[in-house]
Amino acid sequence: MHEESDAALITRAKENPEAFGLLYERYVSNIYNYIYYRTGNHQDAEDLTARTFYRAMKHIWHYVDRGAPFSAYLYRIAHNMVANWHRDHSRRQIISLDELVTGTLKREGPAALAEEREEQDLLLQVVRRLPPERQQLLILKFVEQMSNAEIAQVMGRTEGAIKSLYHRTLVTLRKELASEGNGREKITGRTKDEQETNG
Amino acid sequence: MNKRRMAEVLAAHAEGLTGQPEAIQRFNVTAKEYGRLSPLFQLAERLQQSMQPVQPSAAFARSLGRELVDNAKHQIALTKRLRRAIMIGAAALGSLVSIASVVGAIVFVVVRLRTRAQARTLHAPAG
Repeated sequence: MHEESDAALITRAKENPEAFGLLYERYVSNIYNYIYYRTGNHQDAEDLTARTFYRAMKHIWHYVDRGAPFSAYLYRIAHNMVANWHRDHSRRQIISLDELVTGTLKREGPAALAEEREEQDLLLQVVRRLPPERQQLLILKFVEQMSNAEIAQVMGRTEGAIKSLYHRTLVTLRKELASEGNGREKITGRTKDEQETNG
Repeated sequence: MNKRRMAEVLAAHAEGLTGQPEAIQRFNVTAKEYGRLSPLFQLAERLQQSMQPVQPSAAFARSLGRELVDNAKHQIALTKRLRRAIMIGAAALGSLVSIASVVGAIVFVVVRLRTRAQARTLHAPAG
């Protein structure tokens, strides 16, 4: 069956709540993923996803289609929500339940698995320290599996700018990981031979 | 290898990781270029492994969807009720204004007729 376009759903959503429900179903996973990778825990991801959709619904009357996909509008709201969340959290440091759980698993799991998880956690921690737009780029690329052209549309940039931003992001990330210290050679791409050669 | 080519090759490699393996084949990457970019290729592959999609819990997604629709219905009903109240109010006010103007016109005419009658009585010749 032919799927109703976002534009048609948005027009209907102004009068018919069920239409907004369809938009929600279409994008809830994307927004949840974005927020999850920006905050690092499921509890806050749920809370901020709910707030994002409530705000989108409240302002749907004022939504003007300027050619950008509807997801760009949702990502923008989610971005603001996450920015506020980070501002609040910089005041009070909280260890999330997810971190506690993965911490426990790390200690309990077999050594190789624990090491693998540790490296993954480190990588994600460094990703979370990147500027928001670079994080968004990585999330859209690797989590949402979007093409460069689609990312350009969502982020309101040219495809060339996205490619260049991706290059700069990888270079920065590699430097950050390298400065994190020893035992990260797998992530930074340095082989054991390289290390031996460099001393 | 200039920066632009590096960015193009890395972007094509990333497209390859996300389902378009032919993208990188368009660039004839030399062994030297590959050697230089290899750490960044590995980092991108590592990112792809670490950044797997997550799913919100089904219960959460369902209940939030229901809440949003209910809330939207409530909002629309409220807006309709408010609009109706404004319409009724405006109609009532309009009616009051027209009744007041009719009453005003009648009072004006009565007062004027009385004034004329009094003036006629005063100016009438005695006897």
